[in-house]
Amino acid sequence: MKFKPKKLGLLVGLALAATGSAAADETTGLTDDSIKIGVMGPFSGNASSYSKAEIGLMAFYQMINDEGGINGRKIVAVQEDTGCDPAKALAAAKKLIHQDEVFMLHGNSCSGAAVAIKPEIVDAGLPWIVAHAVSDTISVPPVENIFHGVPTGNTNGEAMAAFVLSKPDTKKVAIVEHSNDWAHSYSNPARAYLKGHGIEPVAELVMERGQTDATAQVLKLRQANPDFIIGALYEAETAIFLRDMKKYGLDTPVMGTAGTDLENTLKRVGDLDTVKNYFVLHPYVDNLDGPLMKKWADMIHKYYPDEELTNFSYISIGSGVALVEALKAAGPDLTRSKVMAELDKIENLDTGILSSTITWSPEEHRGAKSSAVAGFVDGQPTVLKAWNTPY
Amino acid sequence: MQTSTGTLSKRRRIFWLVPLIALALPLLTNPYTQFIANAMLIYTLVTLGFSVVIGNLGQLAFANTAFFGIGAYASAIASTNLGLPWLATVPLAGLAGAFGGFLASAAALRGIRLYYLAIVTMAFGELMRWFYTHTGVLTGGTDGLPVSRERDFGLALTSDTVQFYVFLIITCLLVAGTVNLLRSRIGRAIIAVRENEIATASLGIPTSQIIVTAFMWSGFIVGIAGAMFALHTGRVFPESFGLTQLIVNFAMVLVGGLGSVAGAVLGAVALTALPEYVRAFPGMEEIFFGVIVMVVLLVMPKGLASLLARVSPIFQQRYHRD
Repeated sequence: MKFKPKKLGLLVGLALAATGSAAADETTGLTDDSIKIGVMGPFSGNASSYSKAEIGLMAFYQMINDEGGINGRKIVAVQEDTGCDPAKALAAAKKLIHQDEVFMLHGNSCSGAAVAIKPEIVDAGLPWIVAHAVSDTISVPPVENIFHGVPTGNTNGEAMAAFVLSKPDTKKVAIVEHSNDWAHSYSNPARAYLKGHGIEPVAELVMERGQTDATAQVLKLRQANPDFIIGALYEAETAIFLRDMKKYGLDTPVMGTAGTDLENTLKRVGDLDTVKNYFVLHPYVDNLDGPLMKKWADMIHKYYPDEELTNFSYISIGSGVALVEALKAAGPDLTRSKVMAELDKIENLDTGILSSTITWSPEEHRGAKSSAVAGFVDGQPTVLKAWNTPY
Repeated sequence: MQTSTGTLSKRRRIFWLVPLIALALPLLTNPYTQFIANAMLIYTLVTLGFSVVIGNLGQLAFANTAFFGIGAYASAIASTNLGLPWLATVPLAGLAGAFGGFLASAAALRGIRLYYLAIVTMAFGELMRWFYTHTGVLTGGTDGLPVSRERDFGLALTSDTVQFYVFLIITCLLVAGTVNLLRSRIGRAIIAVRENEIATASLGIPTSQIIVTAFMWSGFIVGIAGAMFALHTGRVFPESFGLTQLIVNFAMVLVGGLGSVAGAVLGAVALTALPEYVRAFPGMEEIFFGVIVMVVLLVMPKGLASLLARVSPIFQQRYHRD
């Protein structure tokens, strides 16, 4: 077998010439009657419960299609699984962009996966609305084609601290948290907010994941005697912490993250008395079973009758409402640039589902800048703007 | 003697045909399929390194994912924190992986075997993952650590095609190196340890050194695969090196054929490519993996490599595990 280096060089040269990133085409993924949108989410794996967000979003698309579509076009959702894994998410993004040739991307739970695909999407230049992942790294500093449609980590942390300080005469605040970045993404902005209001935490405690007893933390907190506790803990540890607080007679209010759900926490601890002073971030306009959320629940069940609804099911719909507004405004001669320009014009949009309005501008692509809080008032879960102030 | 030499020569020529044909692959791919092809090369090395310890040395050690992570983080830290070009980080990642292999071999040298060794080495992998997560200053924690992909000695490493050619060269060198190692006196000693460690020691072969060498070579290969993975994804995260990764790699070794170099390539290629076809069916990937491993173990326990051996005796390998 004789090997000819010149031929090999030619082959390699041809291969290299055949590559190179294709310039973003303004109308890729569009036909006269359809808009192809890539929806990435963790539809498999340990974090697959997050994919309820993408299912809610796809139900919303179907509702828009049933109502006639947008400027004569129906949305065609192309679903891709990220498994919450950065490498798998990168493959999914490349497939949607280069093989399925979608017009834009929407969705994405899991911050790690979203951060991993960001450079690919920046290079490709197509619009991407992040509809569940919360890391500020995704949309800060702002990039022309990436829009955040849910409250980010900073917003959530600040909202927690703001609610804590809305309780009259709150001077002493304690923090109990996991030692991971997830917890820090809530606690650090909360600390900064408190500091900005002249408050240093009276106690900062760690409760590790998987810990089944919080006696040490609770006894230290009893000694510190705070007016409010910020708890950046996962749901299981939150239940243990609240249980031990009750056990040692500590009835200080606790402000939890969006990673816990009020009703689920009640189910875990088993009695209302233990959770009566527990508050969580709640990004919606009403309780999940409240009248303002009913139409969204009915919408999801219309298209996915067997879908079990959770806190995650609704989180991406608000950004869907914003997208539809932008697509309508961009008109029938749609291009990617027009959509991005229209997204940048969205200001104080009341989505009817998120408690925060959405505002995007070329300088700021974090659209949802606040979050409501949910807590039990007279034994009923209630959405609150501030302490004792219903939404 | 002539026949044996002729067969060996033929086998070597066929081995080189595969990468030569692969040179033309980028003509047929788009960025997505090229990305998957690049992943195949990375997992070829991961599977090969795993196979050396589990198939050739015969130790039930699952530190493979730890070596992979160590290599990936060594490359990312060296490129991002120290500013080294990615190519310069490759040997560093290999050495870091080899050091990981040295640490993992300590358990085997202490006489820990079988399931106990499996648990100890899995714990090593989880410990490393804890380390990546909780040393944010060095590793970026759960936010991950980006890998600098600036031009590297004149190569535009952001291009999947350029990455493919670089990965192909590295993979060919390491596959050829492993084949040569297994054919050498050390390789024969590795196989002998697998077959009967006490009998091997009674022949005056330093079995401890042989075990350490096999673990370190495995760590070296997989560490380099880690550096390739870091470049491939552009950012490394702790969750990429968990139990799921380990299970996938183990399935690749089983499907390809324990202890077979050709099997490592086949297993990695098959189990990187085939799951992409079930992407459209969420949740099917786990079922697919389970079914394919069961079918291969039931129908061809020696893996896909045994199919090649049936086609022609030139594919038979002496160090393949029966």
